[in-house]
Amino acid sequence: MATTFDHTLDVKGAKCPMPLVKSRKAMNDLAIGEVLRVVATDRGSVADFQGWAKTARNVELLEQETVQENGQDTYVHYLRRTS
Amino acid sequence: MTSIDFSIEVDVPAQTNVDFYNSLLQNQPVHVLDVRNPDAFQRGTIEGKSNLTVQNLPYYDFVEDADAAVAQVSSDRDIVVVCAKAQSSQFVAGILQERGYRVSYLEGGMPSWGNFYDVRPLLEAPFGQIIQVARPARGDVSFVLVSDGQAAVIDPLRHLAYYRDAVAQANANITLILDTHAHADHISGGPALAAETDAPYYLHPYDAIHPMDMLPAQMPYQALTDGQRFQLGQLTIETIWFPGHTLGQVNFLVTAPDQSTYLFTGDGLFLESFGRPDLGGKGETWTPVLYQSLFQRLPAMINDQTWILPSHISHLDEGDGEGRFFAPYGQVRRNNAAMQHGTREDFITFVLNNLPVFPPQYIEIKRVNLGLFIPDEEKASELEIGKTSVP
Repeated sequence: MATTFDHTLDVKGAKCPMPLVKSRKAMNDLAIGEVLRVVATDRGSVADFQGWAKTARNVELLEQETVQENGQDTYVHYLRRTS
Repeated sequence: MTSIDFSIEVDVPAQTNVDFYNSLLQNQPVHVLDVRNPDAFQRGTIEGKSNLTVQNLPYYDFVEDADAAVAQVSSDRDIVVVCAKAQSSQFVAGILQERGYRVSYLEGGMPSWGNFYDVRPLLEAPFGQIIQVARPARGDVSFVLVSDGQAAVIDPLRHLAYYRDAVAQANANITLILDTHAHADHISGGPALAAETDAPYYLHPYDAIHPMDMLPAQMPYQALTDGQRFQLGQLTIETIWFPGHTLGQVNFLVTAPDQSTYLFTGDGLFLESFGRPDLGGKGETWTPVLYQSLFQRLPAMINDQTWILPSHISHLDEGDGEGRFFAPYGQVRRNNAAMQHGTREDFITFVLNNLPVFPPQYIEIKRVNLGLFIPDEEKASELEIGKTSVP
């Protein structure tokens, strides 16, 4: 886990579209250059965050990783506000 | 940029799979808005008839800028929103409804649509019944034959409740389970149905060897032989070896007391195309075998009135156009693309030039069907994602 971050958003248990909806909202509150770490349990979030970051304004997807937490897979996304 | 309300609207009407399927069959002008990401969309979406339009616009475009996304929805038709589950489609449908669109969302999303079964009778005669059990999103078709309280299931798919229910409704018991071949595109329900009912499960022994692994099947089965006959009430079922798609592919020719005939072709002959001969990795050597089956063996066993009942369709217009996927041989002979290439060389060129991409999961699915690998439910549905690939 090399990526450093400034804030964490816990969306474990939230189903699509909520992980992305909440992330969008949280990104709007970030200062430019800050990094948000999003922790989700929705497996679909992996492909959806990739697709979203391609077209979203001021969002850069730095890294994604799958982390075991209490025997459950969590999907962690690192997002930087670019402007 | 407009700020949007992030709450999810839930008062948008849901569309059930049954209603949605019927609207597709009736060719109603429907606009499907598939809000999954483009990769998922590329792997397969909703298919219908000429009046269906489909658009991919990911839900996150609506999250990003709802007005800009809505502006890309050009349709003035009834819109059905589909997604991976159903929440994202509800979310998008809510946004569209707020702006005055006529919109509903598909209940359960794509996985539920992929697992949707349509059961309908094809024939109800004094000597028995033919019931079609289809999985339309995948293009998979299977059949239940009933006569005098006995039922045979041909090419059962893996969700067994539909067969149990159809057979119970016909006041029959399953006495025979037949696979026309070892399937590569979907998981067979045959062995599991046999375990549950004690009815024998039959497969041709040539197909009980995995063609890539060269490993023998690990599940119990009875070996079919060319010419083998079964009596099901008043119906006679004859096994006819029909190699080409696989080496152990067979057809089942059913003859009724009134001498009408019904040929269950599996993946030997489809209504508009043919069972691809390359899934054993030997397309060039198996294609001439398919030619022999189609042009030399087939005409000898049937007449122009014989019903052809294949195990796959490639689109919903096939058959009678109303969801019953069969046609008399005379019609198939005239309309089937492969059957227009009557000389050996012409046929081989046509077939080898028209092979779709070989889906890599087909090798693994065949392992499952031979008992060489036992998947859990998640893995099983992952293997069956998308539509069956028919030339």
